Order: sequence, then structure tokens, then C-alpha cells
Amino acid sequence: MTAAVIQFSNVRFRYSEQGQDVLDITDLQVHQGEHLFIQGASGSGKTTLLNIMTGINQPYAGKIQVLGKALQNLSAIESDRFRVDNLGIIFQQFNLLPYLSLLENVQLPCWFSAKRRAQAGNSKQAAAELLQQLHIPKSMFDKPVNALSMGQQQRVAVARALIGKPEIIIADEPTSALDSDNRKRFLDLLFSQTDKQNSTLVFVSHDSQIAPYFSRTIDLSEINSAIDTEYNA
Amino acid sequence: MKLLKIALKSACNRKVSLSLTMFSIAISIVLLLGVDTIRKQAKNNFINTISQTDLIVGARTSPINLLLYSIFHIGNATNNVSYASYKQIAALKQVKWSVPISLGDSHRGFRVMGTNSDYFRYYRHSNTQSLHFQQGVEFSDVYDAVVGFDVAQSLNYQLNTQIVLNHGIVATKYSEHDDKPFRIVGILKKTNTPVDRTVLVSLQGIEAIHVDWQSGKRSALKISAKKARQMGLEPKSITAFMLGVESKITLFSLQRKINNHPNEPLQAIMPGSTLASLWQTMGQFEKVLMAVSVLVLFTGLMGLLTALLTTLNERRREMAVLRAVGAHAYHIIVLFVLEAILVVMGGFLFGIAMLYAMQAIMQPILADSYGIFLSLKMLDGEQIIILLVALLLAIILSLIPGLIAYKRSLQDGLMVKI
Repeated sequence: MTAAVIQFSNVRFRYSEQGQDVLDITDLQVHQGEHLFIQGASGSGKTTLLNIMTGINQPYAGKIQVLGKALQNLSAIESDRFRVDNLGIIFQQFNLLPYLSLLENVQLPCWFSAKRRAQAGNSKQAAAELLQQLHIPKSMFDKPVNALSMGQQQRVAVARALIGKPEIIIADEPTSALDSDNRKRFLDLLFSQTDKQNSTLVFVSHDSQIAPYFSRTIDLSEINSAIDTEYNA
Repeated sequence: MKLLKIALKSACNRKVSLSLTMFSIAISIVLLLGVDTIRKQAKNNFINTISQTDLIVGARTSPINLLLYSIFHIGNATNNVSYASYKQIAALKQVKWSVPISLGDSHRGFRVMGTNSDYFRYYRHSNTQSLHFQQGVEFSDVYDAVVGFDVAQSLNYQLNTQIVLNHGIVATKYSEHDDKPFRIVGILKKTNTPVDRTVLVSLQGIEAIHVDWQSGKRSALKISAKKARQMGLEPKSITAFMLGVESKITLFSLQRKINNHPNEPLQAIMPGSTLASLWQTMGQFEKVLMAVSVLVLFTGLMGLLTALLTTLNERRREMAVLRAVGAHAYHIIVLFVLEAILVVMGGFLFGIAMLYAMQAIMQPILADSYGIFLSLKMLDGEQIIILLVALLLAIILSLIPGLIAYKRSLQDGLMVKI
């Protein structure tokens, strides 16, 4: 078994205005290079999990190690920098800034991170290559974002997450706006590209249908004891 | 910097509402700087129009009125001064020099002033400046005329051009002194005073063209230009006269003496103090205008604040995307501040451009009807401070939406569900 790139131990989190924990994870490990599928119904704490994994929110108890770094000890600015340096993030939809061209949208992480910029080399060229590998026709590079189909927009988002070879790609329901044909093609491309640059993929979704495509699946409601108590109560 | 690029492109994406905001700031800048420019230049003009003249003497009226019609050529004289009184006063031992002024005629919208060659010797403006000729010389013949810079410029007059004077201020076809044309012998350099818009002729010239006129109409008995030249041409009355004293100590006693002139009611004013009191009356008005303009600028800035606040919701996703690709939360505040700076600076530039364009257009109109000579000048220190304060205010105001967006983006994190 390869080393864990993300490790949760006894992580407990609550929003300050709430009296109850929303997340309580004793142990969660993500291994280098794997495609991990975290399945969870809405309300199971998916968003919270991702916010903690990306250093946006900090737990009040427990430890999170991402790439050997203890996230709970980082300041807000340090965790912002750590995030852009090492994580590529894909949203459910509306990933792109409508006022930037496709190429600029893809290059955004390189604008904010010196590490990603260095790893990408020529960022414009890297962006163009990624877009082509994700089957975005060259003729669309200078088109406004809203001329793209939803599937195309999500593939551009993948290119942006991948640029500068971050170690971990985190995807938050990126396929929920796609139909089943597009979904399969999207996943194939996502897998082949993350494998190509040897990145780890953490994919969060409520959609259990796509679980078989992944090397490992975790049901969030099983590892999150905070939700169980809530259901039982 | 990349953040500036993002701010620019993001602003372009919302260009309709932002350019309207920019436009309203531009208009308030035009108003504020316009009022400020006009008030400063008007004051300058007024103060600079006449200097080194100790007294202006005319018929009894308010001192301001006398100053306005004799020097600024605004309005008309209430009454004349007899030439005999003028000569009497000019001969007093306290009087060092005197220059008669005779107004009432015009040439294509420009006032005609009858005077004598002492005018070129003693008239001073802008502290110590005397009149200089761009071309030609002062008048010597009865039918010679000297024109101010603007007259020559706008009517495209050269030396030796023949001009016809009009009786009265309003030109009509039936009131032309067309039987006695004048010849331009001199063109003055620009002074930024009403002299620029004046046609100067000798008192004899004024007398000659009126020799066959009675009660504002041409009499049936016509006298030719040649014949008129042979006549005495001693004026019976003039509009006013300027004088300088031998010694400042005698100024008040001379003023009192003229005010008590036995032969006719006269009034002597000191141009400096009259200018000051005139400016005081206008000063109140000027303060109100400035206050209104400041309020208008404030309204423009509030418009900017409104425009930034209304976009907060629609930009929530944008902020989350920026956070996901590595923007710090404080970058969000910077984005709002940059946007405010862009809009305000754009408004400034647009406003200043409009201001200059309007000044260029208004220049002749203001000079014509109000005697205010605007010159296109760079912004002065005070105006630059006004702009900087407005910019600072805009930055402070933009912190409000900036901080709201900052707090929200901390709460939302990356996962905004919209």
C-alpha cells in the first residue's frame, strides 16, 4: 500500500453557531495515486468534509495531515497558499469566470501560485495542451465561456485543476449537471489525465451509480459518526 | 499585476452599470471642478482687469455699477460726464494722469470705446502689464481704430481692414455709421481682459460719427466723413474717466472733492475696494455653488457604493472560484477597492476631458456675456487635492462591500451552492 496523502484522525468539527458536531471522523486515509470516491447523501457533511480537507475550515479537535502538513496548524493565509500550491479543485458547476477566456481561466492557479507556475512551465502552452487533451477544440479557446456546453465547461474546469501538476485533485459533484453519456466520457478523461501526472483524485458525490468506476469507495455516513447520532436522535 | 487584470476584466463584464456610475462621477467632477475653475478664474479676471488706476469717475450710480460698465463693459451708463467737468478735474494739481472713456457704440457684437492715446500709456492690467501691440500702432487719425486680440481673431481682421461701427449696443441695419468707415491701424496682444473684445477709437472718431445724429437717429442733414474731419470734434460728454494721482496721500481728499463737484453730480470710486466688495457679494453665491457641487460628488460616490453592493450576490460564485484557485480572502477586498479606483479614476479622466471640452466651448460665450475669460489651465494643487480626497473616500466606501464579500467568502468557503 502506498503512503497516505490525506489523513484524518479523530477530526471533529462544528459550526460555531451550532451546538452539535457536523463532522466526526475517527480515521480516513487517502492513498497516493488512488481514485477515491466518497459517496454521501445531501446533509451527510460532504461540503464540510471538503472545506476541512482544503483548509477552508479548521476542526476544533483532531488532526488532518495533507501531504505531510498538519492543516489545523496553518494560518488562513498559509492554508490558502497550501491549497493553491497542492490542490486542484473542481466544482459541481459554474467553475469558470465568464469574463476570462478559456485559456485565462485554465491559467488562474498559476497566477496565484508560484509553485504551480513553475511546475506548469509555460503556463499558456500548458493550458492549451491540457485543453486539447480534454478534447476542447482549439477554435473555442478564445470564445466566451458561456458559448460552451456544460460538459465542455466541466472539462475546462478539469484542465484548470490539473495545470501545474498539483498532487491532489478534489472534485465536488462535477458530474451532477451532465447526462450519463457525458458523465462516462468525463470520468474517463479525468482518470486518464490525473493518472498521467500521477495525482491523487478525491471525488465526492451523492450519485452511487458512478461508484464502480473508482478504485475505492467510501460511504461518508459510515465514517462520519456525527451524522449517525443525528439520524438516531 | 494579475489581480488588476482580473479586476479590470470583471469590471468590463459589468460595464453597463459601472460605466453609468463612472458617468455620474464624471458629471459631478465636471460640476465641482467647473465651479471651482470658474470661481477662481473669474476672481482672477476681475482682480486683474484693472490695476494702478486710483480712481474711476462717472455719473452717480452704485460704485459696482460704475465699475461694471466703465471697465467690464457690462450694462450701460446711467448718465454721462460733461467733457468740461472732465477737463476741470483732469487739470487739478493732484491728478497725475487721466484717461477719458466714451462708450455706447458697437461693432458686430464688440463694444466700441472712445478714448485718447493716454489710454495706451496709463492703462494697466494684471498688476503691471500695459497694453502691447501685436501689429500696428495706436490710432492717430479720426477714422483710425485699434482692435483687441479677440476682435481681430474672431472676425479675422488684419491691419487696414475697413470696419463700420454701429450705433448702440444692439446692431441693426438702420443704425450703422456706414457713411464713416474706420481703418484698423493696430491689433493688441491678448490681455485676458475686456480690452480683448473692444474696438478702440479716438474721442474725435466717436464725435465724428455722431455729428449728424440726433436723439439716436440719423438727422436728415448728412455730413460726409471728409466734412466731419474739418469740424471741431470736441466731445460734449464722455461716459467715465480713469485717473491716477500724484501722491496717494491726496487720494481721499480728491475723491471727496470729485464727489462734491459743484457743476454736476459725479462719483469717484477706488477700483480695488470696489472689486473687493463686488467679489464679496459674489463670494456667498460661490460658496453655495461649491457646497452643492461637493454634495453632487458625494451622490456620485454613493452611486458607486450602491453599484458595488448590488453586485455582491451575483459575484458570490466568482469569489468562491477565485478562492479555489488560490486567491486569499483579502484579495477579495482588494478586488473591490481596485474596482472602485478604476471606476473613480475613469470618472475623473472622463470628467476632466468633458470639463476641458466644455470650457473650450463656453469660453467665447462667457467672455461675451459675463466678461469672464476662462483660460484652459492645468488643474491646480487645490483641485488635485479635491480629486485625491474623492478617491480616498471612494476607497473607504468600497471597503464596505469588500468587507461583506470577505466575510461571506470566509463563510462560504469554496462550496457555494447556488
